[in-house]
Amino acid sequence: MGRIYSIGGGKGGSGKSFIAASLGILLAKQGKSVVLVDLDLGASNLHTLLGQRIPQRGLDAFIDKTTKSLEDVALSTTIPNLHLISSTKCSLEIANLFYAQKLKVINAIKNLPFNYVILDLGPGINFNTLDFFLIATEGLFVATPEPTAIENTFIFIKSIYLRKLKLALKEANMWHICQEEVAKLSKGAVKSPLDLINILVEKNLENGTAFRDLLSGLKFSLILNKFRGQVAEDLGEQLVEVCNRHLYPGFDFLGNISYDSRVYESIIARNIFIQKYPYTKTVSDLQNMARRLAGAIQQPIQIKASK
Amino acid sequence: MTKKFNDLNYYELFKIPYNASSFEVRQAYKNILAIYEESSLATYALFAEDERKTILSKIEKAFSTLIDDEKRTAYDKRLVDVGEIPKDLLTAQERQKTIPLFQANTAVTKHNNLARIRKKIKEKGKGKLASALLNRDFISGQDLKNLRESLGIELEEVFEATKISPTALEAIERDDITNLPPKIYLKSFLKSYAEVLQLDAKQLVDGYVKNVEKR
Repeated sequence: MGRIYSIGGGKGGSGKSFIAASLGILLAKQGKSVVLVDLDLGASNLHTLLGQRIPQRGLDAFIDKTTKSLEDVALSTTIPNLHLISSTKCSLEIANLFYAQKLKVINAIKNLPFNYVILDLGPGINFNTLDFFLIATEGLFVATPEPTAIENTFIFIKSIYLRKLKLALKEANMWHICQEEVAKLSKGAVKSPLDLINILVEKNLENGTAFRDLLSGLKFSLILNKFRGQVAEDLGEQLVEVCNRHLYPGFDFLGNISYDSRVYESIIARNIFIQKYPYTKTVSDLQNMARRLAGAIQQPIQIKASK
Repeated sequence: MTKKFNDLNYYELFKIPYNASSFEVRQAYKNILAIYEESSLATYALFAEDERKTILSKIEKAFSTLIDDEKRTAYDKRLVDVGEIPKDLLTAQERQKTIPLFQANTAVTKHNNLARIRKKIKEKGKGKLASALLNRDFISGQDLKNLRESLGIELEEVFEATKISPTALEAIERDDITNLPPKIYLKSFLKSYAEVLQLDAKQLVDGYVKNVEKR
């Protein structure tokens, strides 16, 4: 069983697919077997970032039972060791996956025989996205250093926690208790998973703290993409600190990825950026990240420029 | 189990050790403000107006307590009473005191230097040589130099104490008329010199000036 990383974040266009593809390539170059799973259902385009035509087979074959195992539709790419499970061929209504189908896909992903499984998710906070995100052993949030993206990232993170909590409560047959309590709240809506936990603890339910521990145990990392000079160098660390303090501990800052306009150009030209421009700051940032994920080296010491 | 944000004590809030110096407190204050202030990109979407206000006022209160020695000691005692910090932690490690940079460089060493000169004069006793020098009508630079050396005082020490440049001091001691400072400065330099060697300033200035004008 390999490690599963999911790449998400509330906002579209923050570079999730680009980072998924780049990290996949870099990990594959280390000699590990890697599979990229395109779970941006209905809007999948990971293959384009890998410089490939629309794949002939993908997730659809697994869902409509043409093939028995998900591994069969993991197509090899131009990069050795790197495989891709695409969802381009799925029907246009695939975004609204049935519950049973979703469970089947989730279980299959968990059992994929690769060193690294990287899940590329779509924007937004619908249940499919959240459930796929929660498959991972470690979730990676991608944000850009802009107010809009950071806002959406917080919403995404809270939704993840709430989803996890809700599933756990349902499993423990306690969801109805919470629902009664939530109905008593002034607006009848849960805004933050913290509220729910507080309800549980206040009502002195013995499992209240257990649920808190469950959420504290989730492991997340933050990536700031399209990083430019005018943003404060320590924004990422500040964000992680805030999350650890005000949500649940378990956040880590993975690093900044420098902005490079050639990323855009190479996507348009359907080139693979990290192969075409291997000696750029952007690629070395990605390289550091891939090494950290592989656990080879610790993060290099960052020398902060004095303000 | 980590503490809830509201339950953090001031040290935990600032992420500093219990014996942190006031410099560290200031630094930590600056860092935490950068995270929680209104314009901060990291938190602006996370808190409602009133939530932020409570947090900021807690930070202000923490800072004003930790930066004030009296208030901080009282606060520490309270923490010990509640059992948040072990008692021996406070007595074992003295809080690190800081020395302002400008004092470390000048005031302290200047003071030490003067004290050292005084001690030398006291030990050797300026006695006869000094009174003989002052009784003369004409006092030359060489006489001054002889007196200084007999007391075992270095030229650099005079410079340290008076801040008169060593070249000017040397010119005075060599009676080097072309390189002497203008008369008005010369007089005040000689006065400072006299004060360092604990001589009568007026007698020295008069004698030296006469000696120069004689030539």
